[in-house]
Amino acid sequence: MSATYTIPVGPVHVGLKEPVTAWLELDGERIVDAKVRPGAIHRGIEFMARERNPIQVIYLSERICGICSFSHVLCFIRAIEDLANLSVPIRAQYIRTLLLELERLHSHLLWSGVACYTIGFDSAFHLGMQMRERVMDVLELLSGNRVNYGVATFGGVRWDVTPELVKAARGMIRYYRREFGPFREIVMEDPVAQARMRNVGVLTRDDAVRYSATGPTARASGLRVDIRKSSPYEAYADIPVEPVVPQDYFGAARGDVLDRFAVRVLEVYQSLDILETVLDGLPEGPIVAEPNLNKVLASLKKADGTGWGIIEAPRGDNTHIVRLKGGDDNVSWWKVRAPTYANAVSWPLMFRGNELADAPLIINSIDPCISCMERMMVTDGRNAGVVTKADLLKRCRQKTFDMRANGFEGGAER
Amino acid sequence: MTERPRERHGASLAGRLSTSRFAKTAVDCGVLSDALKARFGDEIVSLEVREHGGGETDEAQARDLWIEIALEAFRPFVEELFVYDFVNFHVISGDDVEDAVALNYHFSLFQRLRGGRVGVVLTVRVPKNRLSLPSIFDLLPGSEYSERETREMFGVDFVGLPNKALVFLPEDWNEDVKPWRRDAAGPAPEMIRELS
Repeated sequence: MSATYTIPVGPVHVGLKEPVTAWLELDGERIVDAKVRPGAIHRGIEFMARERNPIQVIYLSERICGICSFSHVLCFIRAIEDLANLSVPIRAQYIRTLLLELERLHSHLLWSGVACYTIGFDSAFHLGMQMRERVMDVLELLSGNRVNYGVATFGGVRWDVTPELVKAARGMIRYYRREFGPFREIVMEDPVAQARMRNVGVLTRDDAVRYSATGPTARASGLRVDIRKSSPYEAYADIPVEPVVPQDYFGAARGDVLDRFAVRVLEVYQSLDILETVLDGLPEGPIVAEPNLNKVLASLKKADGTGWGIIEAPRGDNTHIVRLKGGDDNVSWWKVRAPTYANAVSWPLMFRGNELADAPLIINSIDPCISCMERMMVTDGRNAGVVTKADLLKRCRQKTFDMRANGFEGGAER
Repeated sequence: MTERPRERHGASLAGRLSTSRFAKTAVDCGVLSDALKARFGDEIVSLEVREHGGGETDEAQARDLWIEIALEAFRPFVEELFVYDFVNFHVISGDDVEDAVALNYHFSLFQRLRGGRVGVVLTVRVPKNRLSLPSIFDLLPGSEYSERETREMFGVDFVGLPNKALVFLPEDWNEDVKPWRRDAAGPAPEMIRELS
């Protein structure tokens, strides 16, 4: 007689960055079946939006996630622009695309580091964390913030791209072209890393189609899908993007964790190319259609209808739907579907037949949305003291001011 | 009347579902909307095509089809979409509209060609005196979380959905309270606090 037993991984687990519970049914060490139970951090954000006007919801939407905050903002803004028929100046479209690709770069770098941590490859994890600082510095130079950039607004963007930023971004591109190769090699060509990721957490192509998997998770299973290609938006209308799929590089798509790793790593190079194209072709002109927010609010108060925004976020297609009622100040309702919402449905399929020890790696392999990003203070231990929230904020602002005044730390070639 | 585009793998639904592939071709959004109008006639309450441009030329490169369908034609309509391509499911959105819960299903077709994708928003009004709708879980298992979420937030029952457990609400939630409803079934004012 064979008996199975059930154990939970999560909601709080050392291998997981955000609370989610996977109830795993085990036969020995082998996972027979799995049930996933989210909901541990449901914050009712969609409900909160009903008490806010569209401009306030911009900043609320930014706080859905720390890593892909710009994707959520832009998706919400595009839903409003869809229903209210707002147009966006061409320069603003390019700046939005620039932000989207910087964010994708940041998300993929962070994830590849975290994936190394999950398989116990801590030196590669630290390398990933070190590399990600550079793109965060560029984002800070543009917006003043490392996360939650506050850049997008209805009909355009709020911050312009300066020649200093272009120089810093080009330096960053050179830095990644030089430094990212060694990282990719030490992980992808490492026999232990390969053994941990190859044929683990497989999602077949048929299942990826049937379960509506999205983003790198779908592409790793061999699906040539990417909203940047199938429904080009912003500057992607001018810049061709081809979906990155493993069969083009390794002959076949196996849909395992290593393929998901490879797709994200290859997309880093793709992002660098897109960033370069955007910087080369950045058009002149205004960055916002209507800078007076009161006028924007007044016109949105008259708008009536439902809008749908859909973009390719780092983790897959992000979908926001918004309803405005004519005469109402506030958003009537708002639905957010982050990519993890779609990909999490496939988790039980990826678990089946795998070993218990691989469960956190499989959970992390779809890059579940990690919404906590704090600013760290490094101390030498000798001058340690209590840093209050106010001190921290002051030091954060000082760092941004210094960077803007003195240029990028260490120049273009740090 | 526009001719119906070539059918994928025979007319049977099982045949269309057995090939889990996205079509390498795309049907023009206008042709698709004409074909759907011819197939469903008066059961289509409203239909709107939205186009989105971008870039230097601002040419339309993204198209969405917004369709409201009669309740009885909901499931046949979703099945009909499979004639054109394997449907990609995004999410169900919705609102409490007085005597009904209006649900919007968000789908995508034709994702292989550049600019080929057609987004389909299928709206269906479920009357509050009979809050029940056929599940599409058997066609698109990816819809599971959305159907469970719609069930717990609006109280719409999905016939044929195997797992009707709560998905986002806590285990000890009073299931008589439906958070997104705007009537007596919704949360009472004293249940809501700290919305800032």
